Amino acid sequence: MSAALDRQIRPIYDALDTGSNKSAIVACNKLLKKHPKNALVQALKALALVRSQKVEEALALCDEVLESKPADDSTLNAMMHVLRGLGRHKDMVTMYEAAYKKQPANEELGAQTFFANVRASNWKSAQLLASKMYKQFQEERYLYWSVISSVLQAKDPNTSTEMRTLLYKLALRLITSAPSPSSIRSDRFHLHLTILRELAEYDEAFALLDTPAGQGICETNLACNEIRRDIMRLKGALEEEGKRAEQRILEKNDRNWLEFLSVVDGTFSPLLQNSAVDGVKEQCASKVSNTMALFTKISVEDGKKDRSGLLGLLELEDRSRKHDSTRLLTLLKHYYELFGDKACCFEDLKPYSDLEDQELASWSEILNTSPSSLSSVESVRRVINSHKLLRYNLSRSELTVEAECSRAELYIKQYQEGLLLGKDLPSTELQPVDDLAILAGSVFVNVWKMTGDIKFLYKAAVLLEFALAKSRQAFQMRLMLIRIYRLLGAPAVASDHYHLLRIKQVQNDTLSHFILSRCSTFSLAASGDLTFSSECLEASQIYISNSQETSDFVIRAFSAEKYSQIPEFIKFEDWLENSLQRDITKLEYLRMRVAHEAISSEIIDLELIELKFIFDRLHHDNRDFEILPNYQPRVVEDFNTQTLLFGKSEGHGWVWSLLKTYITAFSQASDLDDVVEEKLLVGDRPQVSDAAKRGTLKERLAERDEEELSELTTDELSLVSYADALAAWLEPFHDYVRPPASVVLAEAAKQTELKTGMPLRGVDTTPPNGSVKKEEDTPPITDAPEALQKFFENMKARFEVARKTTSPVEALHVATLTQEAFLLFVVETLRFKTASVVKIHKLGNLVTKFKPIRAVAVTVLRDMAAALEGISAQEGTSEKRREFIELSGLESLEFDHDFIMNIGKKVTDSRKKVQEGIAKGMSKLCSTYEQ
Amino acid sequence: MLLYFVLSSETWIFGQKHLDHVLQYNIGFYLHYLSRWPDLCCVQEAPRGRMMGYVIGKAEGQAAEWHGHVTAITVAPEYRRLSLARKMMNLLELVSNDIYRGFFVDLFVRCNNLVAIEMYEGMGYSVYRRVKEYYGNLGVGKGGRDEEDAFGMSALAVCLSGRQETEKVPLDMRKPLSRDSARRSVRNNGRDIIVSAHDVS
Repeated sequence: MSAALDRQIRPIYDALDTGSNKSAIVACNKLLKKHPKNALVQALKALALVRSQKVEEALALCDEVLESKPADDSTLNAMMHVLRGLGRHKDMVTMYEAAYKKQPANEELGAQTFFANVRASNWKSAQLLASKMYKQFQEERYLYWSVISSVLQAKDPNTSTEMRTLLYKLALRLITSAPSPSSIRSDRFHLHLTILRELAEYDEAFALLDTPAGQGICETNLACNEIRRDIMRLKGALEEEGKRAEQRILEKNDRNWLEFLSVVDGTFSPLLQNSAVDGVKEQCASKVSNTMALFTKISVEDGKKDRSGLLGLLELEDRSRKHDSTRLLTLLKHYYELFGDKACCFEDLKPYSDLEDQELASWSEILNTSPSSLSSVESVRRVINSHKLLRYNLSRSELTVEAECSRAELYIKQYQEGLLLGKDLPSTELQPVDDLAILAGSVFVNVWKMTGDIKFLYKAAVLLEFALAKSRQAFQMRLMLIRIYRLLGAPAVASDHYHLLRIKQVQNDTLSHFILSRCSTFSLAASGDLTFSSECLEASQIYISNSQETSDFVIRAFSAEKYSQIPEFIKFEDWLENSLQRDITKLEYLRMRVAHEAISSEIIDLELIELKFIFDRLHHDNRDFEILPNYQPRVVEDFNTQTLLFGKSEGHGWVWSLLKTYITAFSQASDLDDVVEEKLLVGDRPQVSDAAKRGTLKERLAERDEEELSELTTDELSLVSYADALAAWLEPFHDYVRPPASVVLAEAAKQTELKTGMPLRGVDTTPPNGSVKKEEDTPPITDAPEALQKFFENMKARFEVARKTTSPVEALHVATLTQEAFLLFVVETLRFKTASVVKIHKLGNLVTKFKPIRAVAVTVLRDMAAALEGISAQEGTSEKRREFIELSGLESLEFDHDFIMNIGKKVTDSRKKVQEGIAKGMSKLCSTYEQ
Repeated sequence: MLLYFVLSSETWIFGQKHLDHVLQYNIGFYLHYLSRWPDLCCVQEAPRGRMMGYVIGKAEGQAAEWHGHVTAITVAPEYRRLSLARKMMNLLELVSNDIYRGFFVDLFVRCNNLVAIEMYEGMGYSVYRRVKEYYGNLGVGKGGRDEEDAFGMSALAVCLSGRQETEKVPLDMRKPLSRDSARRSVRNNGRDIIVSAHDVS
């Protein structure tokens, strides 16, 4: 490149670096006038175009550069960013391979080609390439790259079991061929052990571990040590491992819980091998007493400093109880005495306190008689722990409404008394008594569940709001409140709390279910309010960052030879990429989108492609429900289950069910068949899960599995059956009318050329000869299934029942689903709106059959809208606020009148807004699609 | 139990729950550390799998300044005062000493976090210097940055260095490792030595 040109290109980089894509494009255009075929400038322009979302133009340029087979660093580098931005990892591989072929001595280019394969998950090619590089450049690193590539290929879910073994064997052969032993670096050692473990070569692994180098690594490297434990366990060397752990505990004062577990495992190892043989029991009993002596010694030595010894005793007791013994109670008591004033006591003891009968009675006695003083933070914690432990074991007969109410009363009383302790704490600190409020709130929710009386939810809300005002950082209370407000039909109040949590980063994946679960029930998208839609988009940002950033770190881990991290990073990326919540959010977004935007073939086409991708995914459920505190007795549902909207959590089945419904409707309404889609799609297809390969799309769509459907509410189930009936009826007519692929492609090519000035690549644009009219006859017109009109009539009846329930959510659920059914009808009949289409294909008779269905739907929706409006007129009034105060019944208990009034106002205002908004939206949709 | 650091959704929740919201713990933060110093990162779990705390560290510095650095260490409030931080620090010191052969381990701690300072002193750390002018004064940050996240019970110690200088990190504390037998990396009058943020790597 000439110096002059170089000087002119620099400002383009600067513009790109500072995000001034527009000026970068201008500068590129100027240079391209003089040097129209300069690949670097073209690549930089493509990059600026990608970054300004001008994908179509970028694609055309990108293809041109690729055809020129670039080989210089700068162009390759720019193209790498372009192709990544476009998701075209496969093209990146091709580009680098070609360049590397031209300059086979260029080591850096070799590495880049390897990384391109890594980004595209082409493990096989990556492995071959790394082997080749190892031979050529004699760098041991490349040998290890080829080893881990084999391992990653083996780990790929699409690799068969036999292949997997072969790949691990290949990896082992490669790693043992290395000139230096794997133990010179802990991450190489880790990789070596992983391979041996997979191949069940435990003795060989043990031999490696037993070397001084191996021992040294395990001493300082937790990851290697964990594999070592695993291998010892798999090898059946529990006793040996137990002895080693005992030594560590005694000699090195190691208090790692894993060592204690190893000792316990070692203690019972004779039983595992053969419990029938005489003497085994005695042998085991003597071992138990030895271990007991050891742990007792440790627990006495450590006292309150470390709980490992005492927890070890509990674990030992718990396991030996399955054989026989009765010391558990004493230990529980001792633990409670020693650590009862620590907040972790309840969680520590919970696994060991599933007691029955006499033992339970004695345990309860101990807890009941424990001091109930609230004079210090420690004593408050002890009281809280005793409440939690007692509550955990409550039986059904102890769970009467009266008993629960008096418990709540006690908790609240103690809460208020204990508040004094924290009165001088800065606002950033938690109050020591917080858990008493959480306990009382849990009791109220439980009573609501028992009685169905909404006033108990009011009580819970007021109490938790009060406690939260005293302890602003108590996020658990916020989470409880979010659930409660959604149950009360006050989504805006729930959202306010959610925003105060300041959800960030990956929490958008794990915690957004708190407000996005079934949020279309509360969405006012149809009346123009996009609050929830934008909430969905915001929460989905994390998936974009994941796909852009995570693979960079995989590459970095390769460069730094941190092999132990590579599979973890890939798993992490995969779990986010294929997150269940991601697609739950997507579906909710879609449901709101069709209510908000005019339904057109463009929306249908775009959404269809995306939904089909999602349909091929193997989902991971990363949602965090554990974060909600649960202090409900073990005989009833946990707090999470109790407070799910409509009592159902949407999981894989829910996602599949709705996906099938929407994909079916959209693919009928769309002109994009598989042939067309294949031609028009740019970039790589996502990896296809095994399930997706099991049948054709059509077969998979038609499958309705009982288990999947069980995740739907009854009303959602009605919607799905209705949509199935509708689709089955109209399918032959859609297939008959849909233009052939060649026509669709020609039209697409025409549009692209209009936009970018360049023809669409790989598509034959010669217009098809002659008439496009199909030769076969119009399929016989059939009557609409009765189920369609019936659905709307049934929903009307359901609505009448639902509106009489105390919380408005049920009615909203029925109303929004009815609206959704109507929108699906609009989608399915869109194609037959065009008079010419109907005329050419002689479908006039079919179209007349739409009318009565549409009429029923509109009537039912209008009635519901009117009813909702009627209800909403009563909300937000001073009577409703007064009713809230009266029902909550907490005013007497020193809770400020205005404080409660304010919560009541927020609840009833939010209800009013959502009912009014949904009614308005429904009426609007009726007028839009009435004809 | 002491486990090597795995990026799980739990780690994230935990990290976000217990650390200052001013710290942008994005995907890159964790992956950066794990792709370079995985052995200086670990988590602690309770017997039945609840996460109790974690530590993230790195190795850095030139020549006699080559050392292990504690970037973030945190213990959930319900597991405080049970020696968990000590166990994690022990590991980090062991690895810094045996694997990285560093001269010392250092960390930053807010000067108003007396509980933490006392704890580190108990572990053999001493103040090496004070860092001023992160926000023009020692202590509370600009614009009330002391305000904590909804999830952020104040972390046991929140320390960042390098490019992420968004935190107030007034005290730099050090503990010499075996390689520094002459204790050259520490000094007695550290509290009197005040340096500006630019001088701290």
